[in-house]
Amino acid sequence: MSALAPLVLPPKPRGRWKPWLGLAVVLLITAVTLSPQWGIAFSFDAIVRNWQNGADKVLALLRPDWTFFPRTIPPLVETLQMAVIATFVGAVVSLPLSLWAARLTNPNRYTRGVVKTVLNAVRSIPDLLYASVLVAMVGVGALPGIIALVLFNVGIIVKMVSESIEVNDAGPLEAGRAAGGSQLQINRAIALTDAWPAFVNQTLYVLELNVRASTVLGLVGAGGLGLLIDAVRTFYRYDQLSLIILEILVVVVVIDSVSAAIRRRLV
Amino acid sequence: MTDLHDSAAAGVHTPAAAPWSIRMRDVNVRYPNGVVALKDVSLNIEAGEMVSVVGLSGSGKSSLIRTINGLVPISSGTLEVGGRHLETARGRELRQLRGEIGMIFQGFNLARRASVLNNVLVGRLAHTPTWRTLLGLYRADDKQIAYEALNSVGILAKAYDRASTLSGGQQQRVAIARALAQQPKLVLADEPVASLDPPTAHGVMRDLRRINQDLGITVLTNLHLLDLARTYGTRLIGLRAGEVVYDGPAATASDAVFETIYGRSIQYEDVLG
Repeated sequence: MSALAPLVLPPKPRGRWKPWLGLAVVLLITAVTLSPQWGIAFSFDAIVRNWQNGADKVLALLRPDWTFFPRTIPPLVETLQMAVIATFVGAVVSLPLSLWAARLTNPNRYTRGVVKTVLNAVRSIPDLLYASVLVAMVGVGALPGIIALVLFNVGIIVKMVSESIEVNDAGPLEAGRAAGGSQLQINRAIALTDAWPAFVNQTLYVLELNVRASTVLGLVGAGGLGLLIDAVRTFYRYDQLSLIILEILVVVVVIDSVSAAIRRRLV
Repeated sequence: MTDLHDSAAAGVHTPAAAPWSIRMRDVNVRYPNGVVALKDVSLNIEAGEMVSVVGLSGSGKSSLIRTINGLVPISSGTLEVGGRHLETARGRELRQLRGEIGMIFQGFNLARRASVLNNVLVGRLAHTPTWRTLLGLYRADDKQIAYEALNSVGILAKAYDRASTLSGGQQQRVAIARALAQQPKLVLADEPVASLDPPTAHGVMRDLRRINQDLGITVLTNLHLLDLARTYGTRLIGLRAGEVVYDGPAATASDAVFETIYGRSIQYEDVLG
């Protein structure tokens, strides 16, 4: 243990260049998407040339038409109802599917693969497309919007919650198996309590997404504020549009603070 | 820590009527990655014995304990637990067998966000219909068993606390209560005190000894500390590289015996003190 003995360092682990390679690949992909030949076509000088065209719209947006307020109330309420119903149904459907899609809570590779594949497909279809097709199938109104939102929500919640289950400790589940519990019993008695915070978080987040998404769904006739947005936009009433945007902002802020309070109590 | 006498007298933990024996014949365990964890292990453990399994980490002692309740499948050989063949048991039959075998883990393995009571009720899963578990409607009898199990390890007062709020020693007692709630014929403990400080470790070992002496349950404990193995076991099984290299009484096992098992001289770290 002489202080003068030269330190013998262990051989350096191999593959330390890998993160750098990853960074280079990301930069390369970014560069390619920006390049005029292969990437998306856009140029900054278009902004310089055209910005004045939008200026009067921005000015109108800065002067909300407060007298329009009473007419926005019923569609706003409908938007909130759609969001709440869709969040509730989506959460109820998502909970068992989340447990089914995670390796820890469903060791069967095949049923897990089926759930994951179906949900990847569900997630890859835009909610606006769901709404368009459903409006054609069940008619204009809140119902197609709600169904579209439920599909959208299930895709998000199951993905996020099942991924959070994968990183949970497997030990408690093993204890349940050692005590003779079936997988279903173990999932209910043990895995569910551990997955609960992630589930509550995602459900609250999805509620906020639904308020925003249901404004867009109205554009294709699926109820809510979107129908009204489409109407005022057609008549270039940016002052009225401004009021609607303010209302959505207020609702999102309120949901954000309410969900923060719920999270503190439930999690 | 209260003693187990009360509950034994109350007649709740009376599985001692028929504790289970273990018969292993030429058991081999090979993991999918090619590692051979157990090599031709043959053991007879009689009902009511208190056995310490000793070996360095990687010696196969954890695999040995986990084969006994089927958490680790055996590659060849036969394994009878309580007179029933475990190596061929599947599905419901395997769950019923596991329901009779309590297990205690190094990391306690409690559902951290669940209450202490709900963790102990996990010990009743094998005796509970699935619909009751799904609805969270445990039978009053099962709850009573859970309360008594908690009482017997002295932490009934914590029944409604979240498991994660308890200290390490308390969490391990909850885990022992979970095993007791199974009303087991056999208890397996995989390094039950390796995460605990010395006084707490002795407390947990005394709990295990009482399970054996007062309730008559067969207890198999993995340990890597030789003084604990000597003090609390009546029989010592030494494993080295997946093979049984010693099998004899625990109290008289000399340091030389441990040196055989460990394949090196005894060191300061090998005793808890």
